[in-house]
Amino acid sequence: MARVVVLGAGVSGHTAALYLKKRLGRSHEVIVVSPGSKWNWIPSNIWVGVGKMTADKVVFPLAPIYRRKKITFHQAKAVALYPEGDLNSPRGQVEIVYTDPTRVGKTVRLGYDYLINATGPQLNFAATPGLGPDGGNTVSVCTPSHAVGAAKRLAEVITNLKSGSPQTLVVGVGHGTCTCEGAAFEYAFNVEQQLREAGVRDKAEVIYLTNEHELGDFGVGGMTFSSGGARVTSEAWMESLFRERKMKAITQAAVTRIDPGVINYTQIDGTENAQKFDFAMLLPPFRGVGLTAYDRDGVEITDTIFAPSGFMRVDADYTAKPFDEWTAQDWPKTYQNPSYANLFGVGIAFAPPHAISRPYATPGGLAVAPAPPRTGMPSGAMGKVVAMTIADMILKGALTPTHHASMGEMAAACIASTGTGLRHGTAAAMSMSPIVPDNARYPDTNGRDPRTTTGEIGLAAHWVKRVLHTMFLYKAKAYPFWYLIPE
Amino acid sequence: MDDTQNRIDAAPLPGTIELARRSNLGVQLLHFMMLNYTMYRLAKSSH
Ligand SMILES: Cc1cc2nc3c(=O)[nH]c(=O)nc-3n(C[C@H](O)[C@H](O)[C@H](O)COP(=O)(O)OP(=O)(O)OC[C@H]3O[C@@H](n4cnc5c(N)ncnc54)[C@H](O)[C@@H]3O)c2cc1C
Repeated sequence: MARVVVLGAGVSGHTAALYLKKRLGRSHEVIVVSPGSKWNWIPSNIWVGVGKMTADKVVFPLAPIYRRKKITFHQAKAVALYPEGDLNSPRGQVEIVYTDPTRVGKTVRLGYDYLINATGPQLNFAATPGLGPDGGNTVSVCTPSHAVGAAKRLAEVITNLKSGSPQTLVVGVGHGTCTCEGAAFEYAFNVEQQLREAGVRDKAEVIYLTNEHELGDFGVGGMTFSSGGARVTSEAWMESLFRERKMKAITQAAVTRIDPGVINYTQIDGTENAQKFDFAMLLPPFRGVGLTAYDRDGVEITDTIFAPSGFMRVDADYTAKPFDEWTAQDWPKTYQNPSYANLFGVGIAFAPPHAISRPYATPGGLAVAPAPPRTGMPSGAMGKVVAMTIADMILKGALTPTHHASMGEMAAACIASTGTGLRHGTAAAMSMSPIVPDNARYPDTNGRDPRTTTGEIGLAAHWVKRVLHTMFLYKAKAYPFWYLIPE
Repeated sequence: MDDTQNRIDAAPLPGTIELARRSNLGVQLLHFMMLNYTMYRLAKSSH
């Protein structure tokens, strides 16, 4: 009987665990290790963060699903990998510390035949002084509890507006190397909509603050897409949307410090600025969750398995090279660790070879360089292909990965809701293929397939977003035929 | 230099036809089906 351990029960890890169990059946063991007892559909945290949805609608307990699917669940966090085992056994091991209230703090080592690292990001609020809801001066929507806090603060700001006091609301990213600009953009527009619905929009200033070089970059170098039959850049598209909603934007910014009511940031031309705020939701930069690794003799090999960012090295081309030499082929396809063939890193947990957008820096050397986004669709796809590969290795004796999914080939869809409601909701839906531009394949259209790189604003996109919420929760709950719903 | 705000101020606004299209139930139902189909195709084709 083979044992596969999946670290992390987010989009990629949970998907991997479900597909593994589906393929492997009862003859092999699938174990999931994750510190939280609940699964969270993170994209819908945006709606929790404006008070349009309650937190219980975006989470569900994992244990009953795993019990039903015969997957072993340890509510614990992984802290260290022993891919060569130890002096007693050559079998790989992972050290976990329980967070489960019944045995909190207890440490054990689990042996494994295959291990998937799907631990996602560490929310690195500490990278910017004053950033974040825990001891900082800003709110966040990265977790359901953060989003509840954001909604509460937003409600206070709306009360202030109703009493006639003008307010400035800033939404964006809190560091020069942040990713997930799409989520910040989406939250900014939901906040704006919330202000309109409350009848206080005219007294509020809403500002989008970003490290993107221009609007519509989204950390993927922007897009040129078909919209209403015309070819338009995502930059022009966004600029129109900002004007329509009377929103301001500050781009090319690295936030350096947040004091109570003041965001300090430097732009790539070197100007240092201070933006006052009454409400600020700034996303943190991400890094790996800080796993360490040791060889058989107990010598630390963290640097062999993990990049300096803490993310796991996989089959990418990590050779340092200038922007103009980056290609879609640098991106990983199998997510297998180059040093240990039974170790895989998926979703946000894998180390990207480089950014996708052109990186910039201030004259003082501060990076203003959006990190590459690894959104839900590709994260789920990576989880699935790695599960399929491992199942083939176990069931068919495959020696090398049998399934591939590269961000240089995969498409992604981003649906940024810009207001909710069945009749009055609206969203900007963007799809791009591939995520990492492939200039060799699509030399005339900025590296993307013009037939599938599209943009659309309207009620339909909002319906799609709402349907996705329901469908992905259905799939994650592993209800009948869950696997028919694509990642 | 960050000239984003100037560009926003000069950006074209959607016309009446475009605004009507965005909320017209018939048009949006059609778009809804098209969007779902596109996303399904993209998800299925890429891995
Ligand atoms: C506010 C917001 C909105 C977003 N909106 C969208 C959207 O609209 N569309 C979209 O496609 N994407 C969106 N994203 C991105 C999307 O959430 C991510 O792409 C996706 O969650 C990545 O999946 P993952 O499995 O890599 O990480 P996660 O989903 O973050 O899962 C990581 C898992 O690992 C667990 N873990 C952490 N540390 C450890 C440890 N030491 N040991 C074991 N387990 C651990 C965590 O508890 C979690 O269960 C959004 C992100 C944010 C923050």
